[in-house]
Amino acid sequence: MKLLLIAVVLLACPKISHSQLLDPHKLLEAPTDTWPTYNGDYSGRRHSSLTQINSGNISSLALTWFFRLPNLTLRGVGAPEIKSTPLMVGGKLFFTIPNHVYAVDARTGQQIWHYEWHDQGGHLIGNRGVGIYRDWLYFLAPDGWLISLNTKDGKERWRKKVADEKLQYFTTAAPMVVGDRIIVGVGGDAMDVPGFLESRDPETGDVQWRWNSEPAATDPEAKTWPDETAREHGGGMTWLPGTYDPELKLLYWGTGNPNPVYAGQGRVGDNLWTCSIVALHIDTGKLAWYFQASPHDTHDWDNVETPVLIDATIDNRPRKLLAQAARNGYFFVLDRTNGKSLVSKPFVPLNWSRGVDARGQPIPDPKKAPTPDGSLLTIPPGGATNWPPPSFDPETKLFFVQATRGYSLAYLTDTDPRPEGYGGSGRNLWSQRELDAIKIDTGEIAWSHPFPHQNLQGLGGPGILSTDGRLLFTGDFAGNFVAYAPGNGKALWHFPVVRVVSNGPETYLLDGRQYIIVGAGDTLFAFALISPPR
Amino acid sequence: MTRTPFVFAFVTALGLLPFALHAQTNPPAQRPPARRGPESTREFLGLGTPPDPQAAERGSKLYSANCGFCHGAKATGGDTGPDLVRSTVVLHDEKGNLIGPVVHDGRPSRGMPAFAAFTPDQLRDVAEFLHLRVELAANRGTYKIGDIVTGNAAAGERYFNSEGGCRGCHSPTGDLAHVGSRLSPPDLQQAFLYPESRSLSGASEPLPAVVKVTLNSGQQLTGHLRSLDEFHAVFTDDQGEFHSVALDANTRVDVEDKMTAHRQLLDKYTDADMHNLTAYLVTLK
Repeated sequence: MKLLLIAVVLLACPKISHSQLLDPHKLLEAPTDTWPTYNGDYSGRRHSSLTQINSGNISSLALTWFFRLPNLTLRGVGAPEIKSTPLMVGGKLFFTIPNHVYAVDARTGQQIWHYEWHDQGGHLIGNRGVGIYRDWLYFLAPDGWLISLNTKDGKERWRKKVADEKLQYFTTAAPMVVGDRIIVGVGGDAMDVPGFLESRDPETGDVQWRWNSEPAATDPEAKTWPDETAREHGGGMTWLPGTYDPELKLLYWGTGNPNPVYAGQGRVGDNLWTCSIVALHIDTGKLAWYFQASPHDTHDWDNVETPVLIDATIDNRPRKLLAQAARNGYFFVLDRTNGKSLVSKPFVPLNWSRGVDARGQPIPDPKKAPTPDGSLLTIPPGGATNWPPPSFDPETKLFFVQATRGYSLAYLTDTDPRPEGYGGSGRNLWSQRELDAIKIDTGEIAWSHPFPHQNLQGLGGPGILSTDGRLLFTGDFAGNFVAYAPGNGKALWHFPVVRVVSNGPETYLLDGRQYIIVGAGDTLFAFALISPPR
Repeated sequence: MTRTPFVFAFVTALGLLPFALHAQTNPPAQRPPARRGPESTREFLGLGTPPDPQAAERGSKLYSANCGFCHGAKATGGDTGPDLVRSTVVLHDEKGNLIGPVVHDGRPSRGMPAFAAFTPDQLRDVAEFLHLRVELAANRGTYKIGDIVTGNAAAGERYFNSEGGCRGCHSPTGDLAHVGSRLSPPDLQQAFLYPESRSLSGASEPLPAVVKVTLNSGQQLTGHLRSLDEFHAVFTDDQGEFHSVALDANTRVDVEDKMTAHRQLLDKYTDADMHNLTAYLVTLK
């Protein structure tokens, strides 16, 4: 009788009897024994409180395992690069490249399972990783499918279409879990389509809300477009994970360039809400405020770079801040309760802007818009920075970013009054990579660490992790994974990972041992101290 | 007039690298991406089967005579007909399977007449014309930079000889002879702004830079750089001998930098200066 009763209870409460891999509440904590979301936590700081590996023992940091992808060729891209930040939960690492999801043992680097998708289109330029909710994993296939897998064995649970690849949408984002919501962003700029961000149900995949990157005809911001056609093709893609303030219940997201990318003559006006930082109410997806980093952009300066949430004292007042090193070369600090500007300061020399307006928004110089005979810009075509994640160190109060100085030519190739597609192109001239440390209260550069020159275009590269162990981890451009001193940018340790670091490094404790994980090209590397403390 | 000698940048290995540090090295993964042609861009974008140019040419005539009045000469929309380049029907169409029925039957509820006299081949030709319009908008590998020779050649020549200081290293009858014939104007403009971005000779791989390493003992080693980071200098000397040197605070690395003058000019040029120089250099046929 007693046995029967237990059996009945077990049958009646399957969810209780089954342990869950990741409770969504875990994402509200500072990560130590997990790395449960793209940026580690909702702040986007990519700063860890762990100190087992520190500036005093960094010389004992050694490789413990590596995991190399099989020989793969991605359509139109070639060899894969790991751009995703693996999530580590329950001793397992979950990461992606376009069309592929891998689960790997965090102790040994052995593959647990692999899931492969066969796309019908979309761009295979990268994939930022997965979201995990309880026992379920979410990832975006390049051709606009949101796919839910079982974390245990990688078996598909369901798939939902979120964007049409025939319209040249493509999907590379890491879905972001917020409570009982999966936040899904999209990309696409070849065929002038509108951007959007969706909240979807983690159990069914159904839409909970949708925010459109362009205003409705009745919104006052519709006046920032000349007509309905321009507004309905306006762009503003949402292709990188955002951040979230659980106290304010606001979701912060960056939006991409307007379309056509380089040809602005058919979309006269500021083109809201493209190239902006937007704050959305998490329960409704309604806009709380916006700040436009590049009004009427004509330089492909997606403003999707991580909006990093920082709590700091400025002018003797504790402030809820949001900081972003933008692709257009400006460093912005905003009050994240209302979007009011505190700092708007270039972190590289730039000539596309004539300064900032009363709201702190840069004013574009129309003379530096792309022209048929070429406009010379003091920023390379990929921007002053790009998607690789930055970090913020609360001890030094420094914001770290991989930046690129350089020059480019911006050409207009479609002079039609109604241009379509990109409508132009950029040509790289000279560029110089550097690791910059920016003071958040003034936007001044505290130190800058230039890397030996390589003639590279600025579309990818190493992300950054900082820790309370007084360490900053990132890559150089010669194939080294390097630990720098956050205070002055001095190199303290390095390991040749052969390829240029291609994702954001992460850290966690497992079995009491601190690991550092980083991806470089087709290989994931795990580091720990040679003799872990006992 | 002296020719600018090699400019050597000084590097302290474990300190911060100064800005002038400049080396031609071979990065392990990231190469300067070659500009993509139409085919590789099409593959990357996942645009599917390329349009048939002959069918599109035939379709162009049919389109102009029957469709352009409403949908615009370039199919980007007119006063009464919508944009067909960014049309969901067109973007999902395969060889006329969706476009054909719409053209043949019309859309009477939206005021579009039927074109019932079109044969299946003609419907396919019109569809291919629309796919070509999509191709020319979406496939940025097909984009052509237009006429960029807008400047004043005489002003460009003056700039070359005086303000720009170009004459210190270059000669219109020497290294730049016939440069206007060898390179298209867009390539020429890019090349004089920063030669490394596109070698004037047309070679895609620039020669390795010369490096000089001074060890703590005072011994000096010189060679052609293979790679340089803040930890190691790797180079091959004139005898073909391979060297790798671990760098520390007492090792000095100097890298030849012939591009200083070009970089300094990038901060000085106005767009007019640049276009004038282009106009001058294209005359060096």
